[in-house]
Amino acid sequence: MKFVTYAENTTQLKELAILVETKKIDANVLEVIVGTAAISRYSENTVAGLEEMIALNQKFKLPLVLEWDVLQQESLFQKNAELVSRLPLHEFKAIRIQDPGALNLVKEKFPWLKVQLILENGNHNYTGLSRWSDFLGEQLDRLVLSNELSREHLSNYAKELKTELEVLVFGRILLFYSPRLLLSPLKKEAVQKDILDKNVEAYGTSEESPHAGFPLIENRHGTFMFNVKDLYLLDHLDELRSLNIGAVRFDLRFDDSFGHLENCIDLFEGRIKHEDVLEIKTEHPRPMIKGFYNINKTDVLFTKLKNKRIQRQDNNYVGEIVDVERDQQMALLIKSKHLTLKSGDELQLITPEGKTKTLGLKIFSDTSGAGLSHATTNEVVLLPFMSGVVAKTQVYLVNKDMQ
Amino acid sequence: MKNWTPELLSPAGSLEKLKVAVLYGADAVYLGGQKFGLRQASDNFTAQELREGVEFAHERGSHVYVVLNSFLHDKDLEELPEFLTLLSELKVDAVIVSDLGVITEIQKHSNLVIHLSTQASCLNVESAKLWKKMGVTRIVLGREVTIKEAKKIKEETGLEIEMFVHGSMCMAFSGNCVISNYTQGRDSNRGGCAHSCRFEYSIDMQNEEEAKKAYFMSSKDLEGIRMLTEFIEAGIDSLKVEGRNKSHYYAATVSKVYSEALAHYKEHGNFLSDDLIRWEEELRKISHRDYTTGSLDEYADESSIYNQRESDDNEYVVTGVILEVKENEHILLEVRSAFVPGDALEIMPFSGKTLSHVASSIKTISNIAVPKSKPGSVVKVPYIAGAERFNIIRRKLAEAHV
Ligand code: SF4
Repeated sequence: MKFVTYAENTTQLKELAILVETKKIDANVLEVIVGTAAISRYSENTVAGLEEMIALNQKFKLPLVLEWDVLQQESLFQKNAELVSRLPLHEFKAIRIQDPGALNLVKEKFPWLKVQLILENGNHNYTGLSRWSDFLGEQLDRLVLSNELSREHLSNYAKELKTELEVLVFGRILLFYSPRLLLSPLKKEAVQKDILDKNVEAYGTSEESPHAGFPLIENRHGTFMFNVKDLYLLDHLDELRSLNIGAVRFDLRFDDSFGHLENCIDLFEGRIKHEDVLEIKTEHPRPMIKGFYNINKTDVLFTKLKNKRIQRQDNNYVGEIVDVERDQQMALLIKSKHLTLKSGDELQLITPEGKTKTLGLKIFSDTSGAGLSHATTNEVVLLPFMSGVVAKTQVYLVNKDMQ
Repeated sequence: MKNWTPELLSPAGSLEKLKVAVLYGADAVYLGGQKFGLRQASDNFTAQELREGVEFAHERGSHVYVVLNSFLHDKDLEELPEFLTLLSELKVDAVIVSDLGVITEIQKHSNLVIHLSTQASCLNVESAKLWKKMGVTRIVLGREVTIKEAKKIKEETGLEIEMFVHGSMCMAFSGNCVISNYTQGRDSNRGGCAHSCRFEYSIDMQNEEEAKKAYFMSSKDLEGIRMLTEFIEAGIDSLKVEGRNKSHYYAATVSKVYSEALAHYKEHGNFLSDDLIRWEEELRKISHRDYTTGSLDEYADESSIYNQRESDDNEYVVTGVILEVKENEHILLEVRSAFVPGDALEIMPFSGKTLSHVASSIKTISNIAVPKSKPGSVVKVPYIAGAERFNIIRRKLAEAHV
């Protein structure tokens, strides 16, 4: 299993190199994601800064992965495509991308460059994952999976997919990514000039949400909102290894978390126990959670959202009671295109509360009171009043063959 | 000579809304079944309703696209083939999909035409090329793409291009918001969005400045009526209206306004019509946040943020939908909001200007005169020449009796 983390500048790269030099971690196990502000979501690094890191790494020989994870419309995309093609791509072990456009470009123009494909939004099924994997073939280095997948799914995918898989085990959970600048309008004008180069950071709290203090970042790519609780799976590293997850990512870019680097490496290498570094969690500025690692039940509520009884179910559906006048009549709108209502028919009525009534149809009339012997689609017919029946009651023809 | 115009694609949140949209001029409608679509709160279609809806639309020359645009989990996929068989049988014109797993299943189990949903956030030429390789024939571009960029995408890929022309907008790149997943336990990518972007937030800029309260992540609504020439010149194939959860009145108004505008262009090759003002006025009469052209022209900026509380203060209110017209006798109206005899009503015909009418009396179906109609009931009002079944009747809110 690989240890994946980020280096934002030469200082951080050096710290990582020292840990390799001092044999805290093997260079083949470590992987360092680097980027530059134009193509990476949160990086403040300049292109010159990135080039400096690449030059420095000639000495360290750490496996560097180039991050191009922004989503961009055509005009911006073209500029970045050009920038990427000017970078010394041979210096990278792989490129890490999310936009299918970037993926297509890399596949066409740089077929020798390995790809780590970020499938963090959506992509929650084996069929899709394996299709992405087949599409890239040999060029695929790894699939970076969504935080919303449970242990059970991760285990299945690791068994069934030939590709190496990566999951986040420590770091912020991105909730929202907008290309629009949403914080700068709230700031004083003088501060706005900085926005292109530096991340603007803030916290958002809403009385309409039970959660407070969503971390926010705005930069040239737009606005990002993170969960109020960060992801923490450091107590599951052994389990992930046993599930055959190929790489775990420690996102130490925020909240001075980079200070935990050595502890994280020691924990990863099994030199210390999880209990020995509980402060990583207890001293973190926000609560930490396991997210959906144990179970994902985010679809349970949907089934409760609708009143099933007022939905139409079968081929014997006639229509809907649209009005009831007490002791007078009930108005039935015939909605079925296929059934003709006839005197002598037996009807079943299901009220919104689920009560069932039956009605043998002897007489019925149109809305002017003229008697009818039959009626078809779109007609409104008047039936004798029945107590307990209300508007939105659904009407079905009793299938005589079934009796 | 008739000029080319794009398809007008309207939302159909229910069978009734489908009929309304088609009758008011939509060239195509999109709708969801009971599962697999993103609008879990809208009524959605049962198999029976789907059958009826497809027949209704096809008989009138309109297309039907079915949304399967949730990002599905493995167990959701198991139920998909049966639904695909039904859609193939019903001859729906296309399915709208965002998940590559769903695309793969569709290709395995059917020959259905596949449109890529805006949820997949396709934003550039290369991305469109990739999805073409995956077998999609049309792309619903992300709302962040300008018309100019869309033109380039079309020219360089040969794919059909669909763009949003009207309606609410996600502030996030579509498919890139999971606020509800983590804060409400509801998957926004499987229809559970709780609209947290519409909340008011107190923003703490960390000592730099005082915390500010703002609806900082709520977007204004898109209105593209003034951009129709650009859409046409760019050759955009389909103009989509958002709003499967919205009312019959909304479905009717947007379908009517945009179809009339496009029909005018078809005939005259321009939008130099006295009706332009009327069309815009009509779009202001439906429930909406302030309008913006979003990123249709330039990338959306600060002016596209709707920094205020959501409210329902509309100038107009829907009085009802016509259920039946008995010539020279009466009109049967399904009442949506109360009105009294003497109220000035406006009937929205399927095309052309509204018809004004004062209801001299209101009666129950059994001809008992009532002083005021009750929402949810069905009443008779005197016959109005020109009114048709499914026409919507509205009135100015100042005259409403809620
Ligand atoms: S909360 Fe807002 S931005 Fe997020 S999915 Fe819902 S509508 Fe879109």
